[in-house]
Amino acid sequence: MNRRPLLISFVGIVILAACLFGGNLAAGNTPSLGLDLQGGASVTMTPKGTYDAAALTVAVDIIRQRVDSIGVAEPEIIRQGDTVVVNLPGVKDQQQALELVGRTGAVEMRPVVKMAENPNNTTTTVAGATTTTVKGAGADITTSTLAQPTGGLGSARHIAADSTTTTTVPAVDPATGLAEGQTVLPGRKDGLVYLLGPAEASGEVFSNDSKAEVSNGAWVVVAKLKSGAAGEDQWNALAGKCYAGGAECPTKQIAIILDGEVISAPVVQAPSFDNGSVQISGSFTEKEANELARVLQFGAVPVQFDIPTVQTVSATLGKDSLRAAVISGLIGVLLVLVFLLFYYRVLALVVVGGLTVSGLLLWSVISWLSKTNGLALTLSGVAGIIVSIGVTVDSYVVFFEKIKDDVQSGRTLRNSAARGFESAWRTILAADTVSFIGALILWWLTVGSVRGFAFFLGLSTLSDIVVSYFFTRPAVLLLARTQFMNRGRVLGVAPSTSEAVSS
Amino acid sequence: MSGGLKRLYRGETTINFYGRKNVGFIASGLLVLITLISLFAQGLNLGIDFKGGVAFEVPVQGAISTTVVEEVLKSENVLGDGIKIQTLKSESGSRIRIQLGDQTPEKRTAIQTALAEKAKLTVNDVSVSTVSSTWGRSITMKAVKALLVFFLVVSIFISFRFEWRMAVSAIVAMAHDVAISVGLYSVLGLEVTPATVVAFLTILGFSLYDTIVVFDKVHENTSRFSGSKVSYGDVVNVSMNQVLMRSLNTSLAAVLPVLSLLVLGSGVFGAVALREFALALLVGLATGAYSSIYIATPLLGLLKERSAQYVSGRGQLSLGADMEHLMSTGAPMSRRASASASAAAGTGTAVRPPVDAILSHPPRPRKKSRR
Repeated sequence: MNRRPLLISFVGIVILAACLFGGNLAAGNTPSLGLDLQGGASVTMTPKGTYDAAALTVAVDIIRQRVDSIGVAEPEIIRQGDTVVVNLPGVKDQQQALELVGRTGAVEMRPVVKMAENPNNTTTTVAGATTTTVKGAGADITTSTLAQPTGGLGSARHIAADSTTTTTVPAVDPATGLAEGQTVLPGRKDGLVYLLGPAEASGEVFSNDSKAEVSNGAWVVVAKLKSGAAGEDQWNALAGKCYAGGAECPTKQIAIILDGEVISAPVVQAPSFDNGSVQISGSFTEKEANELARVLQFGAVPVQFDIPTVQTVSATLGKDSLRAAVISGLIGVLLVLVFLLFYYRVLALVVVGGLTVSGLLLWSVISWLSKTNGLALTLSGVAGIIVSIGVTVDSYVVFFEKIKDDVQSGRTLRNSAARGFESAWRTILAADTVSFIGALILWWLTVGSVRGFAFFLGLSTLSDIVVSYFFTRPAVLLLARTQFMNRGRVLGVAPSTSEAVSS
Repeated sequence: MSGGLKRLYRGETTINFYGRKNVGFIASGLLVLITLISLFAQGLNLGIDFKGGVAFEVPVQGAISTTVVEEVLKSENVLGDGIKIQTLKSESGSRIRIQLGDQTPEKRTAIQTALAEKAKLTVNDVSVSTVSSTWGRSITMKAVKALLVFFLVVSIFISFRFEWRMAVSAIVAMAHDVAISVGLYSVLGLEVTPATVVAFLTILGFSLYDTIVVFDKVHENTSRFSGSKVSYGDVVNVSMNQVLMRSLNTSLAAVLPVLSLLVLGSGVFGAVALREFALALLVGLATGAYSSIYIATPLLGLLKERSAQYVSGRGQLSLGADMEHLMSTGAPMSRRASASASAAAGTGTAVRPPVDAILSHPPRPRKKSRR
């Protein structure tokens, strides 16, 4: 192989790592530390007025979902008696965190004007007319039946940026062309965006005994209306309007909205619901039906919190633990290097270089994400990185063992290095791909400290791949060409050719 | 360097791993059994993050400080690893929040009184409330779901990249490692914290990684030996001897920092929080390295030797000099050569096959003019 691309790659990665490190250092970005090491903000929220225990549980879930959407930091959510305590690492974005946590989720009902595929999670345009076909199911059950057209109900965590402005929209916004009271909200899981009319009823029209049950072999949600003006009348006014399918509600659908997301948008199948009971059917799974029932229960008696109080909270472990972990970790790495130096001799210098480069890269990425995404390093994160050193060193070991084998079989070092990398690269890639898949899935599907762990696993795996290809490969291949390396038993093994000939 | 070490260093060992596979299976079976019994009998000691507990809040006043609080807890005999002592600061003053596992009402009152005494306050100024777990049921469910998806996707990937038998073996080995680590926690009654869960996940990842590296070698050798009549047990044996040095080195490289965390971090520097975490990792790393050689690969051999391609050679193993020959040439030794080789091995002189038999093709001669 030509020398030049190797040199470019080697010098390039070293300069890149140095620049990133220097840049972050100059910008003053340092990794921020988690709750256990540094402490953070503790937000205490006390519910006010009447509420029930089930609604409080839903409220905690809603808060958890919002807090998790902030970033990869590991927040703590505790119920202390009836108050909810949210601990957030770091204190940088306290105001933003407070806004996110402090908002109360209310359930509201709005007529659906239009629906469209969600282009890319932005909620700026509603293109085209209604494209979703509405199944006219459920007409045979009762007069008070709603059919769920899309059946989408889930736990997508994404909250669109402007989803907070659910109530006040200017008369006709020239930029978006929305009429007064209209808003655009994303569906929770169905990948649609909804153009919605003004909120005409809240979740409080229902009494809080909504439940999921099986009717005609399918899961449905049954909700009871409160009687009187605040319940039945309000709901029937909205339902009647939507059943007529006028300009305000051409789709005949009513959207049930929680926390800026359309949970469900059933089609109204009856002009009025006189017996005080509403049945929502659709292609629900048991879980989806239960979730919708829970949302309606929560909407019936929403939990209002007093203005949250913010306190700073000290670390549970403190910097001593961090220092102990870092120092003993470094000593451990030093021991590893000594061992490798003894074992692989000159080649171990490549490991030293490689670990330095990946250390600089990791530090830079973590610092940068601490600044931008609220990432926080916990003790388990630090320990995870220390363990990942083992995996990183393995890439070198696999590579060097291969070189050793080949040199022993009588190949030149230069030849062995090139062949060794090809085979080692395949191994490294296979093993790292598996690790990376694991990290990706865990990060995607979990919350809290497991998510933090997955993040660091993924990060160190990626850095292993990058460093192996762009640093280790050129470093070893270039080293293998030097005269020094080809003199005698630098690797600790000599070609076995001489032995074989003499025997 | 003594002979054995030298052979190890050069990757020339001829250890019959596959023939002794039952030793590993029995040892692991026993350990897993102990785990199951212990889990059933005493379960896991879940920490406050999982179970919830009590929280005391005391205004910072008088002689109270976090160290005083620790002394109080110590004298009440409730000081353990799972306890969280934090200082809360706001404009209206500072408070110390203490969270610990569930206590009897008498104990609660005793702690409350003791704290109030130190702070020179009335008992009612020290608030006591129950705290929920930070790690709720929903989080556990999510993590379990994620793990199942993880197993599924990884199995598909391994089946696609290698073969399904390797996927099965790798997952069994992984489960084995986590089971043994969990068993250790259960047997010793160590407290499980979110950090422990992270440690278990780390073990899972390392075990899988280690197994894949070994399997990659097996995979390579399978195609290398595909032309000759070799039993799968031989392929497995040769592969494991070839990666033995790498496995030892990698394990050492992974274990050294963790050992340092355990000995230096928690021992010398006294960071107790590190101790159990490091212990879990240490055991996990050790079982991870062990299981890829003694569980995953033999299991693969068991599954594979029943397949049509290898069923004829089932049960035959080339040992000693035979294995060495197989390793270096990629073809089994003929009967006669085998006899003479074992005779030679008996007299102590190693017989190396000629160079052109070692390499699939001979090395290109060095060119003198160019460097």
